[in-house]
Amino acid sequence: MKKWMTATLSTAMTLSLVLSGCGSNSGGSDGGSGSGSGGDGEQVTIKMFQFKVEIAEQLTKMIEAYESEHPNINIELETVGGGADYGAALKAKFNSNDKPDIFNNGGFSDLDLWVEHLEDLSDEPWVDQLVDVAKEPMTKDGKLYGQPLNLEGYGFIYNKDLFEQAGITELPTTLSELRAAADKLKAADIQPFINGYGEWWVLGNHFVNIPFAQQDDPDAFIASLNDGTSSIPGNEVFEQWTQLFDLTLEYGGANPLQTDYNTQVTEFALGKAAMTQQGNWTQVAISETNPDINIGFLPMPINDDAAAMDKLPVGVPNNWVVHKNSAVKEEAKAFLDWMVSSEVGQRYITEEFKFIPAFTNIEADDSLLGQLAADIIAYSQEGKTLSWNWFKFPGGEATSNAFADAMQAYVGGQLGKDEMLQQFQKTWEQLSKQ
Amino acid sequence: MRGVIPIEAINKKARAEWIRQLVFVGPAVVFFTLIIAVPFVLSIYYGFTSWNGVTANVKWVGLDNYKQVFLEDDGFRTSFWFTARYTVAAVLLTNLAGFGLALLVTQKIRTSNLLRTIFFLPNVIGGLLLGFIWSFIFVKGFAAIGELTGIGFFELPWLGTSGTAFWGIVIVTVWQYAGYLMVIYIAALMNVPPELMEAARIDGATRLQLLRSIIVPLIMPAVTVSLFLTISWSFKVFDLNLSLTGGGPYGSTESVALNIYQEAFRNNRYGIGTAKALIFFVIVALITMLQVYVTKKKEVEA
Repeated sequence: MKKWMTATLSTAMTLSLVLSGCGSNSGGSDGGSGSGSGGDGEQVTIKMFQFKVEIAEQLTKMIEAYESEHPNINIELETVGGGADYGAALKAKFNSNDKPDIFNNGGFSDLDLWVEHLEDLSDEPWVDQLVDVAKEPMTKDGKLYGQPLNLEGYGFIYNKDLFEQAGITELPTTLSELRAAADKLKAADIQPFINGYGEWWVLGNHFVNIPFAQQDDPDAFIASLNDGTSSIPGNEVFEQWTQLFDLTLEYGGANPLQTDYNTQVTEFALGKAAMTQQGNWTQVAISETNPDINIGFLPMPINDDAAAMDKLPVGVPNNWVVHKNSAVKEEAKAFLDWMVSSEVGQRYITEEFKFIPAFTNIEADDSLLGQLAADIIAYSQEGKTLSWNWFKFPGGEATSNAFADAMQAYVGGQLGKDEMLQQFQKTWEQLSKQ
Repeated sequence: MRGVIPIEAINKKARAEWIRQLVFVGPAVVFFTLIIAVPFVLSIYYGFTSWNGVTANVKWVGLDNYKQVFLEDDGFRTSFWFTARYTVAAVLLTNLAGFGLALLVTQKIRTSNLLRTIFFLPNVIGGLLLGFIWSFIFVKGFAAIGELTGIGFFELPWLGTSGTAFWGIVIVTVWQYAGYLMVIYIAALMNVPPELMEAARIDGATRLQLLRSIIVPLIMPAVTVSLFLTISWSFKVFDLNLSLTGGGPYGSTESVALNIYQEAFRNNRYGIGTAKALIFFVIVALITMLQVYVTKKKEVEA
C-alpha cells in the first residue's frame, strides 16, 4: 500500500512539474490578454526587454516613477547585454513564446529581420519632434517602426592636456595635419594613438564606416555595391582611408590586436596615449578612471579637404520597438510617449541616462552630459555629421565581423592592402547573396 | 492447479513492473525527451530550412544548406581544421600533465594532499570566467612580467597573433583540465596491486619498465575514460574560446562550436547553423566511438 502511494505520488509530482512548466507560459500570455481587455482598475503588465546594461538601474527608477503615476500599469524590466548576446536572447524569448511587449532593434538590416513582429509607430505623437537623422534606421516602406533611444557619435578622442604639452595649438582636421600632430606628440615622447583593434566592432563597425560615409552618396554607393555596378577595390575613398589606417598603426602602440576595449579606454584615460578612436559612450568610464582629464573629439580625416573632413559620424545606436501582436501594445505605446514627452521622462533621459536626445523638444545641458557629448552636440548643430552605415551592410553584424577579420589580418601582416579590400568585396558579395 | 498462475495475477505483476519502470525511469525519460530528444529532432528539421531564427514563415530548402556548408563555407573548414589541431594538442598535453601530476601526488611526499587540492582547483572555475581571467593574464600580466624581466616568452603578443593565440587556448585548457584527469588517474594508480609492483621490482625491473609494463597497461581503463572525456571536451570547446580570444585574431582561432553559434545567431542563418551542428555531431560521434573501441581493446586485468 505504501509503495503504491509513493509511486502514485511521485508520478503525480513529476507530471505536475512538467505540466506546470508548460502551463505557466500559456497562463502568462492569457493573463496578459485578459488584463488588456479589462477595466481601468485592472492591473496591466508590460514586459520590457532591453540590452543597455549601463542604464538598467536608472531605467528601473524611471519605471517606478511611471508606475506611481499610473497605478494600474506594471512594467517588468529585463536586461540582457554587456557581454551577453541580446539578439540570441531575444530570439530565444520569441521562440519560446515569452514575447516581450517592448524591446530593442538596431534598425536597417536588423529592422528587416524583425519587421514582421513590429508595430507601426508612424502616428505616434512624438514622431514630429524626431531629429531627421534618427528616422532613417527604423523607416521601411514609409512607415516608422521604432523610437530612437539616443544619439551617439564617435571619432578620435584626444587628450587636451597632452596636446598642449606637445605644443599643438591648432587642432588637426586633415590627414596631413593629423600626421603633423602625431609627429609633434612623438617628439614630445607621447604615444600618439592607442588602437583598440582587438575589438571587432571598433574596426568592423566604426572604422570601416568612414570610407562608406565619405562617399558622395553613401546610400547610392551601397546600392551600387549590392547590384554590382561598383566595387570596393579601386574605390578612391577606400584607398585614401587605408592611409589613415596606416597612420594609426605607424603612430600606435605595440600589439594593437590584443588591445581590447577595456585596455584601450583605461590606457587612454591614464594618459598613456593622446588619441584613440572611440565614442561618447566612453565618457563615464574615462572620467571614472581619471576625473581630471580634459578630452574632446577630433574628426577622422582621410585626405586634405578640410571642409569635407571636419565631420563626426553621428547616429542612432538603438531603438525601442513594440511587439505588433502584444495584448498591451496601446499601454506600451503610451509608456514610450510618456518617456519622451513628460517632464519626468525627459529628465531621466538626459540627467540619469546621460543620453544625447534624438528629439528636438528635449533640452540637453552640455555640462550634464560631459565633454564628449558636448562636442557631438556642437558638431550636430552645425550639421557637420557623417552617416552610420554598418547596419546597412548586407549581412549586418556578419559583414562587420568579416570586415574586422580582414582588417585584423592586415594589421597582423597576413593580408596586403589590396588583398584586404578584395576581401571586403568578397565578403560583400557572399553575404548579399542570401 | 499449482503450476497455473491466474491471468489476473500476471496482469497485476506486469502492471506493477510497468509502474516501477515508470517511477524510476519515467522522470528521466520525460526530461531527456523534452530537453535532448525533441530539440535534436527539431534541429534536424531546421537544418533543411532557410529559417533565420525570427520569422514565422519557415521555408523548406532541401539539401541546399548542406551544399553550402560543404562547397562554399571556408570559415567552417578553417574552424574545423583549428578544432582538430587544438584537440590533438589539448588531448595529448592534458592527459600527459594529468598523469604526471597523478604520479607526483601518489609519491610519498608530505604535501601531497595539499597539492591535490591545488591542482584540482582550476577545474572548479567555469570556462567563461577562466577565459576572462586568462585574457587579463596574457594581455596585462605577461606584458608586465616581460617588461620587468625582459624574457622573450612573456613579451610575445599572446592573443595578438594566430600562432600564439592557439597555444594560449591550449595552455589554459591544460591548466584547467589536468587536475580533473589527475583525480581519475590517482584512482587508477591506487588500484594497481602492490604485490605486482613488488614482484616486478624483485625481478629487477627499473622504474621506467615498471611504468611501461605494469602501471600503464593496468590503468588503461582510466586512459579510456580520460581520452574520451578530453576528446569530447576539446571538440566542443566554446566558452573558453569565446571569452579568451573570441575566435580572433582574424578568425584564426574560431572553434567549430563558436562558428556554428555565430552562423545561427549572429549571421541569422539558423538553417545553415543547424545543418553544421548535425555534421559536427556525426563527426564527433564517429571519432569518440572509434576512440573508445580502440582503447577498450587495450585494457587488461591483473
